[in-house]
Amino acid sequence: MSSIHNPYLPELATVIKIIDETPNIKSFQVVLNDPEKMKSFTFEPGQVGQLSLFGVGESTFVINSPPTRMEYLQFSVMKAGEVTSALHELAEGDQVGVRAPLGNWFPYAHMKGKKILFIGGGIGLAPLRTLILFMLDNRADYGDITIIYGARTPNDLCYKDELKEWEARPDVNMILTVDNEFPGWVKRVGLVPNVLKELAPSPENTVAITCGPPIMIKFTLQALSALKFDDEQIITTLEKRMKCGIGICGRCNIGTMYVCKDGPVFSLTQLKELPAEL
Amino acid sequence: MTIEKLKEAARKILPEVDVVIGYRQGFDPLHATPYFMTKPEQVDQLIWNSLCVQNLCSYLPFLKGKVGVIVKGCDSRTIVQYMQEKLIVRENVKVIGVPCLRVISVKKVLAAINQQSVKEVTFEGENIVVKTPEGQKTIPLADVAPRKCVTCQLATPLQYDVLAGEGIQSNKPQDTFEETKEFEKLSLEERRAYWEKEFDRCIRCYACRNACPMCICQDKCIAESRDPHWTSQRANVTEKFMFHMIHGLHLAGRCISCEECERVCPMDIPVAKIKKKISMDLKELFGYEAGMNPDDTPPMYVFKVEEATIEEHEL
Amino acid sequence: MADTGFLPKEKLNTLLEALSKKLQVFVPVLEGDVVLFRRFASGVTLCLTRPANLPPKGILFPQSETLFNFNFKKDPEDLKKSSLELKENLDFVPTIIFGGRPCDAQGFRIYDRVYLETDTADPYYKGRREKTTIITLTCNAPSPGCFCTSVGRGPAESDGSDLMMTEMEKGYFFEPMTEKGEEILKDSLFEDGSAYKQQAQKAHEKVSALVKKPFATLEGTPEKLLSLFDNNQFWEGEAAKCISCGACTYLCPTCYCFNITDEEVGNTGERIRSWDACMFFHFTLEASSHNPRQNKHQRLKNRVGHKFSYYPKKYNGVIACCGCGRCIRYCPMSVDISGIVAHAQGA
Repeated sequence: MSSIHNPYLPELATVIKIIDETPNIKSFQVVLNDPEKMKSFTFEPGQVGQLSLFGVGESTFVINSPPTRMEYLQFSVMKAGEVTSALHELAEGDQVGVRAPLGNWFPYAHMKGKKILFIGGGIGLAPLRTLILFMLDNRADYGDITIIYGARTPNDLCYKDELKEWEARPDVNMILTVDNEFPGWVKRVGLVPNVLKELAPSPENTVAITCGPPIMIKFTLQALSALKFDDEQIITTLEKRMKCGIGICGRCNIGTMYVCKDGPVFSLTQLKELPAEL
Repeated sequence: MTIEKLKEAARKILPEVDVVIGYRQGFDPLHATPYFMTKPEQVDQLIWNSLCVQNLCSYLPFLKGKVGVIVKGCDSRTIVQYMQEKLIVRENVKVIGVPCLRVISVKKVLAAINQQSVKEVTFEGENIVVKTPEGQKTIPLADVAPRKCVTCQLATPLQYDVLAGEGIQSNKPQDTFEETKEFEKLSLEERRAYWEKEFDRCIRCYACRNACPMCICQDKCIAESRDPHWTSQRANVTEKFMFHMIHGLHLAGRCISCEECERVCPMDIPVAKIKKKISMDLKELFGYEAGMNPDDTPPMYVFKVEEATIEEHEL
Repeated sequence: MADTGFLPKEKLNTLLEALSKKLQVFVPVLEGDVVLFRRFASGVTLCLTRPANLPPKGILFPQSETLFNFNFKKDPEDLKKSSLELKENLDFVPTIIFGGRPCDAQGFRIYDRVYLETDTADPYYKGRREKTTIITLTCNAPSPGCFCTSVGRGPAESDGSDLMMTEMEKGYFFEPMTEKGEEILKDSLFEDGSAYKQQAQKAHEKVSALVKKPFATLEGTPEKLLSLFDNNQFWEGEAAKCISCGACTYLCPTCYCFNITDEEVGNTGERIRSWDACMFFHFTLEASSHNPRQNKHQRLKNRVGHKFSYYPKKYNGVIACCGCGRCIRYCPMSVDISGIVAHAQGA
């Protein structure tokens, strides 16, 4: 037993539900085995966790369920490497480990009373989802909510049921797009940054939060700056290869900042102060 | 003087290539260090003497464009092996050959001067003269040469586009693998105990692998991969042994005996001994020596149903 | 700190034997031509005449250690169900690191800020650190490549050590820096050391002046290095001869990066923490196959940047390089970090 908390020791958790979002993305709803720990678990929207598959390894995912809905913690996993492929083989009831919450979170307190513009691509909607649901659960605190979300094809859109819910809500402006024409798709077609340019939202009293593949983020940031959004009004969340998740192992740094501890949420102001090493 | 001819050759070749790789003085008088020259004035810093131990060819597979490189006899086998394995485009490499009778082993010199720091190094005839805080010591070069120099037959490199000097003969005894054969007289248990003691010091820094001119897959090394998973991250002798076995076996028929692996080991493990054993076996089994003839094909690259020198078990 | 001590040379072995009875003592040992830290036992060849090839960092930060074991147990009532048990590996024993150099002890100070001065302290490092006493031998000569005085350290620097020892003609002068150091000096083998204090001080000053200075000052260097971040030509030039192995990192007293991997056989396994190096290609390789540092010059830039720019910016200007010179001595191609920093200053 350690005299201090052991930040490397995961909490044991059970997978209670697995949802097939897209051909290569699954969402896992997990519950900590210790009911006391689950009841007292708190986190802020944007924080991440290290999901353990014992014998395989750990990987970092945002907790994309909101702290206002604590029946479970949800992580969405794109199949890419050793750990994510093994996670995709899990069945309901299987045991995993959770080290959470890690990192910083969306500065939602500073967003109260403002208009919120979410711009997501592919699995990049996952970290945005936690903040979207959090804001919808605290709807009165925030102004207009606009969500621009796209993927390569309609099959690659995540959280399809929720997208429908959000489209139906009168207090959310939901714009969906796919990269190219697709049989049966009657909505918008176009890359997310281009759709953003077409819609040309006003930066007035607005915060823009974006996440997606690196190339989409790059062009979205450019488009937002061209639309006269200040660097301080633009928020993004980054990804890096991580191991310890607590700013010690030296791996995920960009200059002096550790993405696991000083991030993953950064404003464009903060990003511009860091060396260009994404 | 060889150094003048080398500088002349480097200056001549520089306009035809993107970089010329040679040697310059290192961090102290006992060390030379690789020198990447792109401008004519940099050639003034070029040195040539028995301190010039590094095999500069190992950079070639990773460099784009045209490259000039200074090459000793032992290094030249690398060029030949790269040609066999098509790891370089020979026309894009300008080889400046330099005649060489021997280099020093820095580790042997340091042992001879009791690990003192070195204030000055000069060469007088067949000796190296080292000045330390304790005084001056004159050491015959033959006493501090690495293993490979004792039986080296390649005083003049095998491959060169220009030779900085006159071709010379080696006049050294042929390699009869005496050290290897002596070691093989030990029992299996004795040999195992020896290697377990040596590998215990291994820190898996992969200096040996990365310095090896033939280990071009170093960034994706199978000894480190998780898929397939041959070794773990456990720092025990078993894992270290496994890495060295993989490394050695992957060099069968490819190792050109530059012994860079052993030179660079910070823990003084005689890793070249393993490669020598494998080279000896390859010579016996296939009559083959790596890096000698550009038209050769390494035996491990070819599958033959009937091998001339290997007796198959009767099924 | 009151008392000092003196130990005649012929009593050194006796002291080490006495200490070994109570706790595990690591000493620099000569094996062939290599000096490395091993557990003291009668028959080892102690070597104090030069710094060890491999610093004693592995004693507080093992090259590999088990963070915890995991065990899947099948439910005898329902074989389809299994429960999972985790067992932390947090037993540490009192230890002495004897005969390291000031630069070696400095490495541990670099670790302390990262591993301990955080709200998520590392219990493995903390457990070992708290139970370890560091007895450091001051240098009586610089080593090839070393430059400790240029990075705010010195051949008799005591920060990070519990007890300092200085070689004199007939024995060793001991000076305690902490309570742990004082505790050691209580042993009856020690004589009074006050007669030697001045002599030791003079010896320290003499050696300090002998240490090479590759740069006059490091003021402004963290910012200068950052300003060179996008200068690919500079970094490609410095990294051209580097072969991207891990020798510099693994031999460095201040390098502390690690990897975490799982190993499993059947129903049991362990999560292992092991040394890793930012110089390796795989260090920042992502599952998508994107690699922010896919070229060796980017990795070298990060290593130099971390030591001379990022760490000092986070921790009040402390340079994360102790100037021991090992990376220069043992680099297969003699890459010289002090030279790189000097070039950066002039670039």
